[in-house]
Amino acid sequence: MDPIVACRGLSKTFGKGELAVHALRDVDLDIMPGDIATLAGPSGSGKTTLLNMIGALDEPTSGEVSVDGQPLGGLSRSRLSELRLSKIGFVFQSYNLIPVLSARENIEFVLQLQGVSTGERRNRALEALKEVGLAGMEDRRPGKMSGGQQQRVAVARALVSRPSIVLADEPTANLDTRNALELVDLMRNLNREHGTTFLIGTHDVRVMEHSMRHIEMVDGRIDSDARGSA
Amino acid sequence: MIDGFKTMLPLAWRNLWRNPRRTGITLIVVAIGLWSILFFNAFMIAWAESSKETTLRLLLGSGQIHAEGYMDDPSVEALMNPPDQDLASALDAPAVADWTTRVVVPGVVQSEYKTLPATIVGVDPMAEARISSIPGKIAEGRYLNSGDDDSVVLGLHMVERLKTGLGRRVILMSQNAEGAMSEQSFDVVGIYDADKATEDLYVFTGRAASQKFLGLEGEIAQVVFVLKEEMALEDAVAALADAAPALDVRSWKDLNLFLASMDSYMGVFIQIWLGIVFALMAIGIVNTQLMAVFERTQEFGLLRALGMKPGRVLLMVAIENALLIGVGVLLGMVLAAVTIWSVSDGIDFSAFARAMEMVQTGEIIYLDYEPDAFILFPGLIWLLGMLVALWPAGRAAKCRPVEAMRRET
Repeated sequence: MDPIVACRGLSKTFGKGELAVHALRDVDLDIMPGDIATLAGPSGSGKTTLLNMIGALDEPTSGEVSVDGQPLGGLSRSRLSELRLSKIGFVFQSYNLIPVLSARENIEFVLQLQGVSTGERRNRALEALKEVGLAGMEDRRPGKMSGGQQQRVAVARALVSRPSIVLADEPTANLDTRNALELVDLMRNLNREHGTTFLIGTHDVRVMEHSMRHIEMVDGRIDSDARGSA
Repeated sequence: MIDGFKTMLPLAWRNLWRNPRRTGITLIVVAIGLWSILFFNAFMIAWAESSKETTLRLLLGSGQIHAEGYMDDPSVEALMNPPDQDLASALDAPAVADWTTRVVVPGVVQSEYKTLPATIVGVDPMAEARISSIPGKIAEGRYLNSGDDDSVVLGLHMVERLKTGLGRRVILMSQNAEGAMSEQSFDVVGIYDADKATEDLYVFTGRAASQKFLGLEGEIAQVVFVLKEEMALEDAVAALADAAPALDVRSWKDLNLFLASMDSYMGVFIQIWLGIVFALMAIGIVNTQLMAVFERTQEFGLLRALGMKPGRVLLMVAIENALLIGVGVLLGMVLAAVTIWSVSDGIDFSAFARAMEMVQTGEIIYLDYEPDAFILFPGLIWLLGMLVALWPAGRAAKCRPVEAMRRET
């Protein structure tokens, strides 16, 4: 089976000379379809940088990233946008919903960018909301929702375009325990039921406990990569 | 492109109202800016038109015909015969509303107290009433009865300076056809009220009476004509010049250079005003839109991260600007239309009558809608506003998702 994500010799250096910061050092990593992997490590270990590289949000200093068999190196900004739109779903720490759009519209927005027809957009958005347990809240704007609810909308948005992988960066960092556990359950269920691949950058033990693969990063390197039983 | 536009339009509209205060201020700036351009454009055009009409209607007419040399030395030696058949036919053309002839010579007017320089104008009162506003400006007494009327009508200010009055007699003196000085006593039968410059200069008597006084045998100094349409001016002057090649045919633009300059420079003045207003508006638009873009940097990063292409981000911000400026432009147009409508009965400056006289403008200025201006200026403001707003839009489109979202762990 081919990996969804393949990183080879990935390095990222910010700044130059004495001020250079080596955020990633020669990272090799494969994420397989159906994985629900957590990427852990102390602050500055390179988790977010690695997620950004895999998510085509930033370019490596050296090395190569491929997503679903597509090498990212050399792609134009426009092509990278298309790739993110079609193959990658994002869930960020601070919910990052568009405040002027309702829950349904936030989810539909990605489908609009993909050029999906109005009717199909609506149906898929409502279905995604139902799947994350927010049926009936489709017309609420982010400002009228709790943090947990907003993060569920973000998950629904990430999933609705049927991406190859969902990248989640500290998705539970701003949630209380109940909401954090609900979100973890949600991701795990989606993984089980739809085979959705998740790569989750986190400090949160509650998330790590439920992952099937745990990758530990230290100083820009992968320190350990272990598969669990979750 | 159309699909992108449909996607972005509702989002752009809602984004506008995220900060109602800032949007409101920008709308007010655009609306008032455009209102001022449209209103002052209408006002200045009305003012210039009134000033022109007042001046042309006073004595100037749409144009005049003189003997060659009369304009350089307007004396009894440079007079001409009344229009011959060719010229009379040309003056009776459909483009010409009316015409008349005058005797106009320099002279002096003398009362028992004072002697003043004057221009003696011999007129046909009936025709003159159709050409000039002077017969309608009689403040005391009456206007002349006929061309044979050998009485005079003086200006109000001249009467004060001469210390004369209605029913008194004054003496007119001027060089006659034989080169000698003629002088004759005339009854003051009327006093007209115009601007001081006119009142101090012109003394009116009957045309035949003035010819008799000057020893003329029917000669005249000028033909003055009024056209039906200002647009026909150049063609009409050319036609009259063709009909009277030996005479000096001039339009009012050649006879009153100051008035012609005012007419020409009105457009330049409006353009300068447009430039100033637009510069102020541009500063406001760029400032508010830059602030809006800076505030939403993280969101633009998110949109880019979700897969929105830079061109679509640019389109979205451009649509926001187009809506913002478009609504402001519509408000400005409505405001200007309502303002102009509210003064459609004229703006009464009679409280400043003397000042209005000095600038030879009517006491009531009538504003009118200028359809071209209501298309041109809003279109220009909208287009220029869009252009300056491309800067903040470009900044939004150029943002790099990672930097914009500022998420480093």
